Amino acid sequence: MSNNTNKTNNNPFDIFVIGARKGFTVATQNLLPNVLMAYTLSEILNLLGVMKMIGSIFGPAMGLFGLPGEAVTVLLTAWLSSSAGTGIAVSLLSKGIIDGTHATILIPAIFLLGSQIQYMGRLLGVADVPKKYWPLLMLTSILNACIAMVVMNILV
Amino acid sequence: MEQEKNQSKVGIGAYIALAVAILFFSGLFMKVEGMKWLSAFDFTTLGGTFGTMKDPAKNTFIGAGGVSAKAGFLFALSLAPTVMLALGCLEVLTHYGAIRAAHKLLTPLLHPLLSLPGKTGLALITDLQSTDAGAALTKELYDEGEINKKELTIMGAWQYSGAGLINNYFAIGSALFSVLKLPIILPLLLMFGLKFAGGMFVRFVLNTVYKEDFKDEQ
Repeated sequence: MSNNTNKTNNNPFDIFVIGARKGFTVATQNLLPNVLMAYTLSEILNLLGVMKMIGSIFGPAMGLFGLPGEAVTVLLTAWLSSSAGTGIAVSLLSKGIIDGTHATILIPAIFLLGSQIQYMGRLLGVADVPKKYWPLLMLTSILNACIAMVVMNILV
Repeated sequence: MEQEKNQSKVGIGAYIALAVAILFFSGLFMKVEGMKWLSAFDFTTLGGTFGTMKDPAKNTFIGAGGVSAKAGFLFALSLAPTVMLALGCLEVLTHYGAIRAAHKLLTPLLHPLLSLPGKTGLALITDLQSTDAGAALTKELYDEGEINKKELTIMGAWQYSGAGLINNYFAIGSALFSVLKLPIILPLLLMFGLKFAGGMFVRFVLNTVYKEDFKDEQ
């Protein structure tokens, strides 16, 4: 049996299937619950009228990056989880609040500051990076995201 | 004994939670005249609707005009094929040594840009694929005395911003690929470059603001 698996491990088709299985797990265990949560959350914000408020409050700041104010919800959610941030971006797209150009500006920022809360434990905690410098690293990520949005705004 | 303990823990918060649960699932908030915002606390409303075939020639199975949980579910389901394809291909390319080649190319950049020893390359490259594996390798380097605290922090900075970059981008970011106005490789390259920029920024701050912290380490 173990011989058999060793053999099949070198077959590119089997390797592809292993990866595809990982992809299915990511899609169903990670993306699906997060996107469902993001869609529901953005509907709550919508029904409460908070979305419009956020839009007008953050309009000027987000305008610097060529984005509508509502786009700040994508960034704030991405900070908690990249999947959820992406989900919010998609739901804003489907509502017509942001368009493809805005999504292009947002996408690098989503991942540069993505899932910081989770990764504090999973990355900085595991690797034992001294806690004293965590805020510095977080600031760096946020700066990175801002730079990315400025650059994308120029490119797009 | 244990049951008693659990019972004594039922505080005011628990009753509030129960009240909220009853109201949330009751349907009382579904259609309150003139107070549409109350429906934000209604289970049925948040369940949402699936999209419908408004334009059958263009709509996929997701339909158009769906909202909330139901729309999110179908949309997320529509991502599964491309995520599976992307991770399947990455797995094959990794098997044929793509990561090893990247490691080789990256190593000479580490010292001039980040003042990190070449040995750290593998941990950094691994981080591009898996945050957790990258973190474990980084800790190992530190535990074995290959890097000092300052180098550990710089490595942390490089990994923290855009952790698991390649896998996350192709697995999660693919949700947005169809609407992007630029080739999808461009944001990826930009993020990769900014990982270095962030690392260099942290290196600079550690060398100036926190200079005192590292007096003893050399």
